Amino acid sequence: MFYWSLIIIVLGIYSAYIFGKSRIKSNAKQLDIKTVSLPTYYAQYMMVWCLLPALIVYFGWIIFENQIIQNLVLANFDFELNPTLNPGLLIAEIKNVASNISFAEGKSIEIFNAAEHYSSLKFTSTVAFYLSILIFMILGVMIASRKLQPTFRAQKSIENYIKYFLFFCSTVAVLTTVGIVFSLLFESLRFFSEVSIFEFLFGTKWYPYIPIREGQSGSQGSFGAIPIFAGTFLIMIVAMSVATPIGLFTAIYLSEYASPKIRSIVKPLLEILAGVPTIVYGFFAFVTVAPFVKTFGQSLGIDASPTSALAAGLVMGIMIIPFISSLSDDVINSVPQSLREGSLGVGANKAETIKKVILPAALPGIVGAFLLGVSRAIGETMIVVVAAGTAPNLTANPFENVTTVTVQIVIALIGDQEFDDPRTLSAFALGLVLFVITLILNIFALRIVKKYRERYE
Amino acid sequence: MLKNIENDMSNQYSHEKIIQLRKKRSAADRRFKTYGLIATLMGMAILFFLLFTIFSKGYSSFQKSVIELEVSYDQETLKITSDSTYEEQVKAKFFRVKKNAIAKALPDLSKKDIKLINKMFSINVDKEIKEYFLNNPNILNTTQKIFVTAHSDVDQLLKGNARRNIEEKKRKLNDRQLEFFDEFVSSGRLKTKFNNFFFKNADSRHPELAGIAGSFVGSLFTLMTVFLLAFPIGIGASIYLEEFAPKNKFTELIEVNIANLAAVPSIVFGLLGLGILLNVFGFPRSTPLVGGTVLALMTLPTIIIACRASLKAVPPSIKEGALAMGASKMQAVFHHQVPLALPGTLTGTIIGLAQALGETAPLIMIGMIAFIPNIPTGFTEPSAALPVQIYLWVESSERGFQEKTAAAIVMILIFLFLMNALAVFLRSKFERKW
Amino acid sequence: MKNIKISSKNVNVHYGAKQALHSVSLNINENEVTSLIGPSGCGKSTFLRCINRMNDLIDICKVDGSITVDNEEIISDEVDVVSLRSKIGMVFQKPNPFPKSIFDNVAYGPTIHGIAESKTDLEEIVHSSLKRAGLLKEVKDRLHEPGTSLSGGQQQRLCIARAIAVNPDIILMDEPCSALDPIATAIIEELIDELKANYTIVIVTHSMQQAARVSQRTGFFHLGELIETGDTQKIFTNPDNEKTQGYITGRFG
Repeated sequence: MFYWSLIIIVLGIYSAYIFGKSRIKSNAKQLDIKTVSLPTYYAQYMMVWCLLPALIVYFGWIIFENQIIQNLVLANFDFELNPTLNPGLLIAEIKNVASNISFAEGKSIEIFNAAEHYSSLKFTSTVAFYLSILIFMILGVMIASRKLQPTFRAQKSIENYIKYFLFFCSTVAVLTTVGIVFSLLFESLRFFSEVSIFEFLFGTKWYPYIPIREGQSGSQGSFGAIPIFAGTFLIMIVAMSVATPIGLFTAIYLSEYASPKIRSIVKPLLEILAGVPTIVYGFFAFVTVAPFVKTFGQSLGIDASPTSALAAGLVMGIMIIPFISSLSDDVINSVPQSLREGSLGVGANKAETIKKVILPAALPGIVGAFLLGVSRAIGETMIVVVAAGTAPNLTANPFENVTTVTVQIVIALIGDQEFDDPRTLSAFALGLVLFVITLILNIFALRIVKKYRERYE
Repeated sequence: MLKNIENDMSNQYSHEKIIQLRKKRSAADRRFKTYGLIATLMGMAILFFLLFTIFSKGYSSFQKSVIELEVSYDQETLKITSDSTYEEQVKAKFFRVKKNAIAKALPDLSKKDIKLINKMFSINVDKEIKEYFLNNPNILNTTQKIFVTAHSDVDQLLKGNARRNIEEKKRKLNDRQLEFFDEFVSSGRLKTKFNNFFFKNADSRHPELAGIAGSFVGSLFTLMTVFLLAFPIGIGASIYLEEFAPKNKFTELIEVNIANLAAVPSIVFGLLGLGILLNVFGFPRSTPLVGGTVLALMTLPTIIIACRASLKAVPPSIKEGALAMGASKMQAVFHHQVPLALPGTLTGTIIGLAQALGETAPLIMIGMIAFIPNIPTGFTEPSAALPVQIYLWVESSERGFQEKTAAAIVMILIFLFLMNALAVFLRSKFERKW
Repeated sequence: MKNIKISSKNVNVHYGAKQALHSVSLNINENEVTSLIGPSGCGKSTFLRCINRMNDLIDICKVDGSITVDNEEIISDEVDVVSLRSKIGMVFQKPNPFPKSIFDNVAYGPTIHGIAESKTDLEEIVHSSLKRAGLLKEVKDRLHEPGTSLSGGQQQRLCIARAIAVNPDIILMDEPCSALDPIATAIIEELIDELKANYTIVIVTHSMQQAARVSQRTGFFHLGELIETGDTQKIFTNPDNEKTQGYITGRFG
């Protein structure tokens, strides 16, 4: 359907263009006046009015077609009489029968009839779709062609349409944020209607398995997210205690000590480190760092888990090093040269200048970089999914197995998703917490960095 | 007098103290510099260690183990004749030929031995035998020596990834199979050759057959979606914000949004894709279309930042010149500024695409994690993507997949490197000094 | 008596709270060169940019009063700025050819205004414009090389050719020679003298000698006010106003 409609629409707007151009030229000739805009703009005007109706029909169909057909087909089934029938499964079965994926043999006569009904509706809908695209395109052109007068400022209108389009492009970012907030809030509210928000935020037991049958053995599911938050925090602490010193010292070395040649070699290499996909770090953590941590723990007499907070945190720290170092490098470089000269001028050596003058001056920027690093560590997914555990242990021992917010989101959504099951919905509640925390960190950090930049501009 | 001496002494004392202090201070200076150097070297060392680990684990996956079999293409066994059509040949009983060949792989095999030795071959062997025949149909009724793919367990042992001097129970191959293995090796019938399957197959349950072609094509479709969506929208948004946006609260809101979107964790974009694109708009699950849409939203801030910077770099005198000629603002922007800003925008876009190529978490959320054993052919077909393929292989317990993982990572790193090199090339080629 | 081409009455310009022009009234004759002189920041460029409404580009700039071109008011929201600017060409202080070929630079105006009916038409216009700008001989064989590859003086003449190609009545020049060497300046000045037969030219200049050499009438601006206008000869030999006297004799400026 996509390719055929594409062809129809392209042909349509092409003929609208040709039509518009010849019509405006003949109109102008008849009245013997010059057009106020170039003929091309009138032709483009026709194109817009051919394209818009076609797009509206196309997207309208895509959004509503399935829903309407399904409702029409399912209207023949009485779900109150048959409480065991599941509409979702039923429609999938009907579709399979209709498209000959599964054989109709052994299926009830109702389903067979419904499949026929479905096929015929689908066929009608497809025919109607192409017809209405054509009709709407022609209607659009006909209505718009009344404007094809030499006195009509076609260029101005076209430019206004373009401006609307540009404006729409810039609102995509806003729409995305709205979409994120909407999807997270909506599913989270459903989650909190089944699990109390108080339990979620302050409960210490995470056991997201709700018994399928009444009275099944095993306890009731419980959704206390404290162990998850604690695990996230623990891994973040490990990561930042690796990334901050190495990143900061690298930045200091590169901006204050290193020769331009060394800089020009090291900086791109650090950029490579920053560009490595996080799943690669996950693999590295899994096959190299985790076994090392385990043997290291054993040599200390600690029984380390094969997927420890330490291994994941160390590798995550490595991932964040280039992030911290490049941000701090920018910040240190923007400390005015006059401060350096002032300090060196009274006889302080380089290290003292850096420690007593540059770092204090650059501190807000470095704090901002640190906060952005924290936000990354919290939101990082693949390293922890591969290298951290899944067990919600409430512990401060980095050799133990802990889990994080992102890991739990992935676990909840891999496999069967059922949007009436709190286990699936819990992913959205966790996502909401993640979004809010990282958002606060980012806004805070960006504000600090911005203030800092303004101070030295 | 006394005071003088005291003064002298204290002077002397303080002089010594100063020298000492100076020594201490310069030692501290050197120490501080060393810390910086150590930190930098550590970063570099980690990078090289990371790359070394991955390449050393991954390179062996570009080779596969093959075993020589004597296959007799006997027309009775195949149940075809020399006059058979191609269709009949395709349907011939190659599995019987394979069975016979494996039973005679080594001399004097008992029934139990045959069962064991059969497990040392890939399940793909009959297809390979068939392919060899279809390429050379005139070999009917002859016996051919063909190298066929070995099972992953044999492969791993040959490459030295699996150890043989451990308890039999912990080994994949038992003692008897090891005897066969040694016989194959000593007679030169077991060797490694270029692993074509890795590049032409999609995912498989059998490590020796699994390849990256499916996920590569999936990634390609995904990146194309990202480009088709994010590039025009990014340019449009940048033009609006740079040239047309009035200074008001809403414009400010847009700017703040773009800045914050750049720092939202990728997994949250995945939740957006699942909650809105899949559940509300009914996009098809597990497809490059949704994956690409989600990644496009993620890449948008990168492109917008790059495009706005390049638009800003175009000197205003160019626009003024056009306006003074009677061009409208839209014409001045589209005829002059946008073409000049395009190379810079393209560079930013490629860097954004490189980020999108490595992104895993959002694709897992929208279901691109399903096991897909064939190569996708369109935007709306379920498919895998390279980074998700890596994740799937990391998670599989079979040892054979571990080297696949590393090899797939090598491939993705090569692509990332090429993309970044292209970006650097574009930047240096089209960089304009005004 | 010559026809009055441009006439301004009580033009005030504000940049935010700061007033840049105070009630400027000035008539500019057809087919003459009028030069505007005065010390830096006196408002002469601001006045020039009012004539083709280039001040619209600056958000905080407010223009009031009246300017007519061919007896039509141009300081009004209803005026189509695009067609106004196609009637009034402008040459800037620093040559600003588009980073395109020489041909495309000149062809740009005719293309967007739909002046040329055909490709040969367009080539004709490009050639004649380059010829009138005295550049054709030098660039005839390399029309498809980038305009930015020319020398400064050639670039400025290319910008003049570009302005002429739209067939304007008026050409505004904002210190067109300030970035050029003396030889290039002399060529441009000669060109200006030739162009006045077909165009009304308003030139802002820093150099009093230049004003004396090329213009028939001169206006002297000081601190946003038009102090004195008159025949160039008179302004430079026997000005009425003391400030003008002071400026042209080099006592300030």
